[in-house]
Amino acid sequence: MAHHALNLSARLAGSTAIGVMALALLTAASDAAAVERVTIVMDPSAAQTNRAWATGGAFDLDAVYQRLIGNDPETGEYDSSGLAESWEANEDFTTWIFRLKPEAEWHNDWGPVTSADVAHSYEIQTGPDTLATGVASLRGGTAEIIDDHTISFHFDEPKMDFDFANAGRGSMYIYSKAQFDAEGVEGYDNEPAGTGHFRFVEREPGRVLLETVQDHWSGTTPDFNELELRFTLEPATKLAMLLSGEADISVIPRELLGDATGSGMEVVTSEQPSKQVVVMPDGLYMKEGDPAFNPGLPWTDVRIREAMNRALNRDEIVEALYDGEAEPLVRYGMHETHEGYVPELAERFEAEYGFDPERATQLLEEAGYPDAFEEPVIPIVSTVSPGSPEYPTMAELIQVYFDSVGFQTEIIEMDWASLGALGRGREAYVIHPVQNAPIRPSNVALTNTFLEEGSTYHGYEDDALTAIVEKMAATIDPKAREDLMREAFTYAFENYTDMPMVSLHHPVAVNPEAIVTWQYPGVTSNGLSHWHLIDTVE
Amino acid sequence: MSKFFLVRFSEAIVALWAITVIVFALTHLSGSPVDALLPDDATPEQAQMLIEEWGLDRPLLVQYFTFLGNVLQGDFGDSLKWRGQTAMGVVLDHLPATLQLGSFAVLIGVVVAVPLGVLAAARKNSAIDTSANVLALLGQSIPNFWLGIILVWLFGVTLGWLPTSGRGGFSHMILPAIAMSWFQIAALTRLTRSAMLDVLDAEYIKLARIKGLGERAVVWKHALRNAAIVPLTYFGVLAGSILTGSVVIETVFAWPGIGWLAIEAIRGRDYPVVQSVVVVFAVIYILANLLVDLLYAYVDPRIRR
Repeated sequence: MAHHALNLSARLAGSTAIGVMALALLTAASDAAAVERVTIVMDPSAAQTNRAWATGGAFDLDAVYQRLIGNDPETGEYDSSGLAESWEANEDFTTWIFRLKPEAEWHNDWGPVTSADVAHSYEIQTGPDTLATGVASLRGGTAEIIDDHTISFHFDEPKMDFDFANAGRGSMYIYSKAQFDAEGVEGYDNEPAGTGHFRFVEREPGRVLLETVQDHWSGTTPDFNELELRFTLEPATKLAMLLSGEADISVIPRELLGDATGSGMEVVTSEQPSKQVVVMPDGLYMKEGDPAFNPGLPWTDVRIREAMNRALNRDEIVEALYDGEAEPLVRYGMHETHEGYVPELAERFEAEYGFDPERATQLLEEAGYPDAFEEPVIPIVSTVSPGSPEYPTMAELIQVYFDSVGFQTEIIEMDWASLGALGRGREAYVIHPVQNAPIRPSNVALTNTFLEEGSTYHGYEDDALTAIVEKMAATIDPKAREDLMREAFTYAFENYTDMPMVSLHHPVAVNPEAIVTWQYPGVTSNGLSHWHLIDTVE
Repeated sequence: MSKFFLVRFSEAIVALWAITVIVFALTHLSGSPVDALLPDDATPEQAQMLIEEWGLDRPLLVQYFTFLGNVLQGDFGDSLKWRGQTAMGVVLDHLPATLQLGSFAVLIGVVVAVPLGVLAAARKNSAIDTSANVLALLGQSIPNFWLGIILVWLFGVTLGWLPTSGRGGFSHMILPAIAMSWFQIAALTRLTRSAMLDVLDAEYIKLARIKGLGERAVVWKHALRNAAIVPLTYFGVLAGSILTGSVVIETVFAWPGIGWLAIEAIRGRDYPVVQSVVVVFAVIYILANLLVDLLYAYVDPRIRR
């Protein structure tokens, strides 16, 4: 019996030891399999600095800083995942009030987020040295601190898009006033404190390293410990980094996605389209008495603009440039989830914009092209814009289609900044591609596209459309605004103000051995956001 | 020798001055930085403010002399892309990476090319000579960016032996240094081989052999010492091609040196940094050539006359 008991004890002890060892091995295996650091390789930002307000595009610390308003990861709609738990505007949109989350805290023990931080951030980001895109949507207000967690902004005129300026596409990161008071702007340079899910660790040439904030105040903590951003310009190298396992996520051009998936990688795309691409017949400064108006341009004639649209075989273009992975675009600036959407235009598109080279040739004849125009040659700009490497090929395709219906064309190579300079000088008498990225709210898109004070890359202005858009911009009543937006989109559609091309989601290639998925809506300038929702393999 | 030095040094100063003129002219011919830096929705007032702030509204000659005065003090202004840093500070931050990679590439080039060139000459028409010639031909005909990508895919992705890119430990240097030195190996091998062939035909070498000196001593001691002067002159060109090569190689391998920086600065129209990079390139190149000239003159007194 004793022998049996001993035997049983030994067996139990042995089994227990084996169990413990197996458990330890399993745990070790599990630890080994868990992703400690997520590395993302992408193009270098237009600017590499912690002073985002002093540049037109510095997104390196987008995972560190937060804005007042968040975006839903699926729909992209505004939500309370930012620093404000709620916000509202008064009836005429001249006052906006934000209530901050009392639990929000700064990294590195700089204390809780307060209204003073917001007022300070507003001051530095609307100052005279600010170069941030969209700063016009922020400027002109006065910040009033109501209490530690309530702040209001007062404007002389209605500021309908102030929520947009404070959400994902906006430029207003919230910076710590306490850090600024203690360390000055050098504090932001050396050890910037944010409120996001990731804390700044170091910036080296070509690389930024962030670490996960454990027990983040928001209640959600990423399932990995470090986020490394590596910046590489060469697409083949970015793909190689992914395939070799040096990067877990690679932001590569669309034409390389097939190579990635062919090698066992997977593609994750933004939940919503992240940009719209059109070809813009620029330089149409057609408001009465505008000295920049050039009547010698063929595309001042709406028949020529329709012919341009009719000449394009969009299906072929989508196939050639985007491997068929793009949605057709009906109207630049219009999107079904935004205000002012006109579903009828989608129904009319094929009949009025569809590929019809015979009709295009006929329209040219009706317009008296080329003899009726002083400058009959259509200059098509071949350029490269950040995130759109396909533009040069697109320019060549457009030339082929235009030539085939009887247009005289020439390709002009020009860098993106020089094109902007032409627009700023109001002499952009060229045809060129342009994007709406991310897809802005309709009111922003319309003012940006059709008003003289809008983007320099858009050049369609006439009295009727300007009147509609200006009236919309000054209208507070939601129903009336919606009607005016619809009217503006319909007018633009019927006057062929541009050549709609495609609506695109933002893709990234991921290594499925490290990344399960990543949900991001595609609402920021570079298409990426919601870094804490990168879901790694356990 | 001092007169020779003074002449060469003066020439170097004139070359540097000419480079400042070219750099200034080219950066202004390629458009205004204001166009690149301002956001799409910038107001004309914002543009004007920047133009005034950077002095772009002043006459070009005034701008040039201001630029020249600042250059003499090493002040190229603040970087427009790396906000909060001076342009020269950004360049100096990236310079060690280029020097590290460039030095390693030169080392590989010398260690491979000189012995190969010597052996090819000593064993003319042998298998080694043929191999050296083929290698030299390949080295001079294969573009280094293409070779770089092939190396990345072969050793980084397919075999997984080496990192594909970035700057880290020693292993990160191997592929970019090979890609960078590839052309140098070819050129230096050919130069060494032809110089050795000339020397090996010389009367004093024949005399050494008649005197019964061992072939190894003849080739590696007497012949190489005399032939080395030709490859030595090539080191000035080598320094230049290492720098210019760094622009391509550092981009392919994401090696954050000043070649990579040059591309990034050009993309962002960061004129102060572009100007700093070009002037630093020029200074290194001119100094390297000056040093080679002086060494050449030291080794061969006929040059000084």
